[in-house]
Amino acid sequence: MRILSPAVALIGPLLMASALTPVHAADMTFERALNANKEPQNWLLYYGNYQGYRFSPLSEINTETVKNLKLVFAVALGGLQSGGRYAFGNLEGTPIVDDGMMYVTDGWGSVYAIDVSGGTKGAIKWKFDPGIDRAWAGDVACCGVNNRGVALWKDKVISIALDGRMFAINKATGEKIWERKIADPALGETITMAPLVVRDLAIVGPAGGEFGIRGFIDATDLNTGQQAWRTYTIPGAGEPGNDTWKDGQERWKHGGAPVWETATYDPESDTIYQGIGNAGADWDPQYRPGDNKWAASVLALNPTNGTIKWGFQYTPNDPFDFDEISEHPIIDAKVNGKDRKLVVHAARNGFFYALDRTTGAFIGGKQYVDKLNWTTGLDPETGLPSNYDPKTGVQVYTPGTHGMRGEPLANICPSHFGAKNWEPTAYSPTLNMLYIPSIEGCDGIETVAQKDFADQGGTLKPRERFSGGSFKMTGRLYGSLKAIDPTNGDIKAAVRLDFPNYSGALATAGNLVFLGQADGTFTAYDAKTLQQAWSFSVGTGINAPAISYSVNGKQYIAVLAGSRQSPFVMQNDPSLKYSSTTSMLFVFAL
Amino acid sequence: MIERNNGQRRYDSWSCRRSLQSTIVRPLGRLRIALALIAALSVVMIDPAHAQEAQSAEAARTIEHGKDIFKTKATCQFCHRWDASGDQGYGGNALSLRQTKLTPAQVAETVKCGRPGTGMPFHDQFAYTDKRCYGITRAELGNDVPPEPNAFLNSDEIDAVVKYLFAKAIGRGPSTYEDCVEFWGTDTRQCEPMKQ
Repeated sequence: MRILSPAVALIGPLLMASALTPVHAADMTFERALNANKEPQNWLLYYGNYQGYRFSPLSEINTETVKNLKLVFAVALGGLQSGGRYAFGNLEGTPIVDDGMMYVTDGWGSVYAIDVSGGTKGAIKWKFDPGIDRAWAGDVACCGVNNRGVALWKDKVISIALDGRMFAINKATGEKIWERKIADPALGETITMAPLVVRDLAIVGPAGGEFGIRGFIDATDLNTGQQAWRTYTIPGAGEPGNDTWKDGQERWKHGGAPVWETATYDPESDTIYQGIGNAGADWDPQYRPGDNKWAASVLALNPTNGTIKWGFQYTPNDPFDFDEISEHPIIDAKVNGKDRKLVVHAARNGFFYALDRTTGAFIGGKQYVDKLNWTTGLDPETGLPSNYDPKTGVQVYTPGTHGMRGEPLANICPSHFGAKNWEPTAYSPTLNMLYIPSIEGCDGIETVAQKDFADQGGTLKPRERFSGGSFKMTGRLYGSLKAIDPTNGDIKAAVRLDFPNYSGALATAGNLVFLGQADGTFTAYDAKTLQQAWSFSVGTGINAPAISYSVNGKQYIAVLAGSRQSPFVMQNDPSLKYSSTTSMLFVFAL
Repeated sequence: MIERNNGQRRYDSWSCRRSLQSTIVRPLGRLRIALALIAALSVVMIDPAHAQEAQSAEAARTIEHGKDIFKTKATCQFCHRWDASGDQGYGGNALSLRQTKLTPAQVAETVKCGRPGTGMPFHDQFAYTDKRCYGITRAELGNDVPPEPNAFLNSDEIDAVVKYLFAKAIGRGPSTYEDCVEFWGTDTRQCEPMKQ
């Protein structure tokens, strides 16, 4: 046996500790999150700021210099394994960057800490694999194996996994500190969204609107790893709004209203704005007469205790699967000469909405998608669809735009995928322009009378699909990027895209907008005209939004690539049929 | 797989020949050669049984190959469920294959050509480029052309997935816990709800 000298025995552990605990960036604090714009070199929050802008104040890469933008390094990630109903995981995540360290996730929820400080390569410092039962979780993922990213809190990385768990991970080493089960795949619940951290709480919710869940918003106390509060997105018996489920058979208990995109946060009023998904069963509104609150809505909540301040429902008794989970940017602007505190939303139903974020009152709305046939407009007072009938439980809207039981295929524009699905907008505060990546085109809905779950006297078992029918492609979908004035919804510039967009936008102070496409094209547009300023093909589908950061004063653009569209999206898109997926981080610089 | 099996068989033949030469022919005289011939003949006599075994092993491999295509490569289960009992929702209104009355040739044609006007994709990459599918082309089908598949399949793969379906799903009753474990394995909670 070898005996260490006393000196080595004393110094050794210190050396070890030093090696295992590298010097790391400052802890993430609420103050830093509130002032994210003062750290333009970092991308600290999912949307870049709490207000949901996806705007980088960096301008080294601009309309003049972007022609010299080139790929500087790439990093291969994992997460391509099959599981459940899926052949591979996708990359939809937003990288978080803090002081030259980047934190990204793959579709199966592995977290990678990548040292990007050198500027010429990305060195993976640690990888945390949550160890998902892929068959179990992947079998109840509606629409892919996805994970949209992490949040930072103090000296930890907060991540989620498809199987419904949240993790606190040591930011320096990748070691798990604790985990908490929030959502349960046994009930059809999964989690795909990046957590929103406000003070010491991490806020998430479950997907599962196609599996008969009852949605909720859930806050975890990060100091303890325990639940701080949970607010159901469908009010319970006796609560305000429960009477908007008029079936008389408590179908609200499986009524959907899932949550699968990160909320925005207004520090001034201490309010989060959470988009809420579709009612279940998706395409059988006769199963659930009534407005079905708060499906297809936005909820304003107190982040400390989860109490609802107000709600606004976009599509009552939604028969189209018009989830409104996506971002709700917070903008202060003059509307008709009057200063207004707005929360805005490019809705899946094809309209852009501006609401008073203090009261939830409708201020204005306008169609932004090319083709919209399900309603004739919005009521200027209430913002409700103009052919909404308050006297009936089952909304017909424009006849023939959604399936009713026993009726032939209906034709809906925008398609049920939405005018804008989850893919986030970007907002340039310098140009006061909101950039909306869209899915253009129509499809058809076939309604099938929904069966009840076993706990309500039927034959359906938990984890079985609960959609009330299906959809059918009736033509080719395409995409668009539109720049609109959020104070009036006017379209200032637009570009047609070959493919429906599922990636999301980044705006920069260099007056550029970056957007990836399904064929791997990654493009920078002039933010004023949407003329193409630069483009590069990464050779595989991009389903994730880009971010920007800098190291030692040099600006970088980073984007995750790795996705393959569903057969429905590829229908009539022969150019995509031989495409393959991968799992890559690409980083560009001048 | 087939190539690998052929290669394996070739290697075994060579190995057997060498074995005869080195361990039987050279050390022995004519009597021993005669005994060796008898031994060789006895091998020939039992060969049909070996062939049958090999054939059923081959059939099992084909079914397993078909399962892999159904489960992962073409992800048929996304729409039809893991047990091929049919489903709705984001996989379309997919029919139950357990209850289908189609023949193997008809199922193969459906996999190859899809079903025009529905969400069932075609899997022959040249479908509708000529009249090999139902005598119609993409141009004639217009918007009724079936969707592109998750993966194109060659004729051997289509044969394998059809054999898998007839071995494990078509014509069988509701799936059981044992069916589930056979499909998903034992390293997942996937089949636990079926235990009750």
